[in-house]
Amino acid sequence: MADILHLDHVTKTFRGGVVAVDDISLNIREGEFLTMLGPSGCGKTTTLRMIGGFEYPDSGSILLDGKDVTDAPPYQRPVNMMFQDFALFPHMTVAANIAFGLKIAGMPRAETESRVKEMLDMIELPQMGDRLPNQLSNGQRQRVALARALVRHPRILLLDEPMSALDAKLKEAMQVELRHIHDRIGITFIMVTHDQTESMIMSDRIIVMNRGRIEQVGSPTDLYDRPATAYVADFLGTSNMVPVTVTRTGDQVVAKAGEASFRIARHDGAIADGAAMTMFIRPEKIRLAVAGDDGNVFKGQVREVFFSGNAVRIDLDIGAGQVVMVHHQLDTALGDAGLPAAGDTVTCSVKPETISLFDRAQADAIVRGGAAA
Amino acid sequence: MNHARRHKMGFWVLFSAPMLWWVTVLLVPYLIMLSISFYSRQFPFHVPDFQFGNYAILLQDSQYWTVLLRSVKVSILVSLAAFAMGYPLAYFLAFKVRSERLRLFLYVATIVPLWVSYLLRAYTWKTILGSEGILNSFLMWIGVLDEPSSLFLYNEFAMVVTMAYIFTPFMVMPIYASLEKIPRSLIEASKDLGAGRFSTFLRITLPLTMPGVLAGFTFTFGLSVGDFVSPLLVGGPYSNMISNVIATQFGMAMNWPLGAALGVVMLFIVLGVITASDKLERAGRLNLG
Amino acid sequence: MKNRLLSTVGAAILAAGIAASGQAKADGELNVLTWEGYTDPSFVEGFEAATGCKVTPTYVGSNDEFPAKLAGGGGIYDLVSPSIDTTSIMIKAGFVEPIDTSRLEHWSEVYPQFSGHDGINVDGEVYGVPYTWGAIPFMYRADAFETAPTSITQLWDDPALAGKISLWDDKTNLYITARMLYGNDADIYDLSDEQLAEVRDKLIELKPKIRKYWASAGELVNLYANGEVTISNTWGGYQSALLAEQGIEMVEFIPEENADGWADSWQIVKGTPNEDCAYQWLNYAISPEGQCGVVNITGYSGSNPTALETCKTPEEMAALHQDDFGYIDSLVLWQEPARIDAYINTWNAVKAAE
Repeated sequence: MADILHLDHVTKTFRGGVVAVDDISLNIREGEFLTMLGPSGCGKTTTLRMIGGFEYPDSGSILLDGKDVTDAPPYQRPVNMMFQDFALFPHMTVAANIAFGLKIAGMPRAETESRVKEMLDMIELPQMGDRLPNQLSNGQRQRVALARALVRHPRILLLDEPMSALDAKLKEAMQVELRHIHDRIGITFIMVTHDQTESMIMSDRIIVMNRGRIEQVGSPTDLYDRPATAYVADFLGTSNMVPVTVTRTGDQVVAKAGEASFRIARHDGAIADGAAMTMFIRPEKIRLAVAGDDGNVFKGQVREVFFSGNAVRIDLDIGAGQVVMVHHQLDTALGDAGLPAAGDTVTCSVKPETISLFDRAQADAIVRGGAAA
Repeated sequence: MNHARRHKMGFWVLFSAPMLWWVTVLLVPYLIMLSISFYSRQFPFHVPDFQFGNYAILLQDSQYWTVLLRSVKVSILVSLAAFAMGYPLAYFLAFKVRSERLRLFLYVATIVPLWVSYLLRAYTWKTILGSEGILNSFLMWIGVLDEPSSLFLYNEFAMVVTMAYIFTPFMVMPIYASLEKIPRSLIEASKDLGAGRFSTFLRITLPLTMPGVLAGFTFTFGLSVGDFVSPLLVGGPYSNMISNVIATQFGMAMNWPLGAALGVVMLFIVLGVITASDKLERAGRLNLG
Repeated sequence: MKNRLLSTVGAAILAAGIAASGQAKADGELNVLTWEGYTDPSFVEGFEAATGCKVTPTYVGSNDEFPAKLAGGGGIYDLVSPSIDTTSIMIKAGFVEPIDTSRLEHWSEVYPQFSGHDGINVDGEVYGVPYTWGAIPFMYRADAFETAPTSITQLWDDPALAGKISLWDDKTNLYITARMLYGNDADIYDLSDEQLAEVRDKLIELKPKIRKYWASAGELVNLYANGEVTISNTWGGYQSALLAEQGIEMVEFIPEENADGWADSWQIVKGTPNEDCAYQWLNYAISPEGQCGVVNITGYSGSNPTALETCKTPEEMAALHQDDFGYIDSLVLWQEPARIDAYINTWNAVKAAE
């Protein structure tokens, strides 16, 4: 896929010296669904607004289809935005809202009308053209906002926290629908969200941002399974963060926590023998021991068991005060599962390639900074 | 004491004072004015009566029409001038001033003249607009004029300038309030959809501030049409306004019935303007939802 | 309980209202409704020191304000000083009370033409104490005219006067315009409707050349001082003197159409609680101190020539026409017009016209 948008060393500092976006470089591919993910204040919205033309970088440049648009106003960019509050014009009907961008462009009336109708059909609100925005539900408003932003056939659609105004049920449905619309029309989508689940459900690629910088870019599975930094590991999904001591013999790296020890398959090769590090293990990757398991096997004493419907969470004491969470998916009724009870000692296993190892100081900084999702 | 009675008593405790105020200083005087407008003039005073002679005089004698039309014309001009000055000012305050503190300062600076005596401010305009005033001196200094112009003071122009200056805050306040209520995302959305600044202003900002504009027009029109001071201070021989005529009827002419009839007519003009602007605003709000 | 609370509140509001609307109070303070200069501190201070009565003035700009202010619930005034054409209206309206002249030490020295005038004598009772008199001449800025104007026709005819004229906002303009149209012998106080219409049209014709109608002595002085106007009618002697103080030389003149004459009298407002102070003031007003005081300040002539002889040289007396009562007979002394409503309406129509 060819690149449609290129951000080159873009930096934006707000009045008062807050660096919102710090030297970001990024290529966005034609037709992809890209999500910028991060906590509030990480610079994702500012980046989006710079792409839309609502903010201008202090330095660096933005190229759209190879053309420099760094300082172009919004009305000179073939890019449209769906705003967080939808920003529907309250004094115009739904149809007039959708037609607005076409009217400005001087499109003939007949063509405008057919394009608007086409859009109303696409968002499945064919009868709502004469309504005013305040006569619509939140979900309907979002669809109208989407139609209005797409009617001009922009090169890129920007979505600023599109789901934040919706309730949980509607949110799930819209996530899927938006994804479908993207796949159908083939326009590049760039979305901003702080919701990691949403980002993984919808995106081709995710950019995790932190303090104005990019932590990692990759597909959802890349990011989830192979986080590049402790920050990404912590921000996406749930993780056990276990302080460990590493022993290294040649390429063999083993992390020790309490009485358990874990072989590590993925590491950057620079790990020193005896280093104090933090080990990240996804709770669902730990399995109650099965015969013939080829993973790391360790023992722990059950402290507590929490039932949550489709799964149980088991807190295991692996010695030296270290507690590890295990998510165990239930494929039978609870009574038949033969689950351990508090006080039992159980054997578990985890595959080496699912474990990530990060610098202790880096991991501690995340815990202290409270940046966990 | 049961709940309902206690509730009723609370109502009276809370509202008796404002209601008494409303009845004694608003309703009763208006009723008195209305009844006097039907009295008969009998030198040197008037006698209670019920006849429409005073209204007939207002209809027949063209001097009252002349003054009435002039008052309405001047008030419309004042409102337009206040709008022309007030809207950009409110826009600047609401949209262009980024610092909260500076905005507050400028807003207060706009409003604070209202605490300065009207007379003082009107006199100030006299010293600006007069034949030997600041404006003439300036225009002569920069060479636009060879000799002082008498066109600036003692005419309708001076009245409109003075009143527009004095009443502009009443235009700025409601427009500022309605501008502040516009989510910035609407402006951005318009630009995002290809509209430039001017187009965005005409299609989005202005329509959304119409309630504020209407309120501003209603204020400035109402204040100007009843103005009594500026015709005396900066107006000229052709500047008599309806309030001056009413004052003359209650004063010099001692013709209270005729003055009261004029007062009633003026009351209805102002009520008409308020009703019209209310209707327009409602229609607009229906549109806005 | 509730009712008693309400009635208490009501009574309190009523009481406050009465206090605020202010019946004149018997506290030795004289509230006077008068012309600028008539209670100047320069000579009122002496009166206040001698009697303990304090004088608080409110100024009028036109005679019509006297009855109007009293009709508008003006019970706060103790004394008024209208001109001789308005004193009779005050009497008819019942605003003023008869004066016991035996309580006035200098009464016999007052010009009999004034003390015996119909305007203040009704049914054998005296209702006013004459104070000052003078003319309503015209005046012009000496530096603005090469040849002295002599007739008010020049206001209409001289194009150079466009925008340079000021006229008093008063019905007196009808009188002189009527004399211009119908001759000096016309009965200007009993004009017909047709004549009033002609006078009105003539004055409307002059409007484009008028800069401003003046409504107070101070306003006219400012109009001259700020270079706005060069010619106007005036309260003879007073405003020209104020302008002279500012270094602006004014020339007063009696035009060919003659000038109105006026005479102002003090009247006691009916029911004043400060009657003693009021009589003290009436006495003072025609005493040497009062007469010299007001004549010095206003430049008008005084009603008691005997009193003025104590402070004026014979030359000054001559300049004030105090030695020559024939002068006042030559002026057209104001009187109440036969149909005052029609006159006021005519003047209002002039002001209203486009």
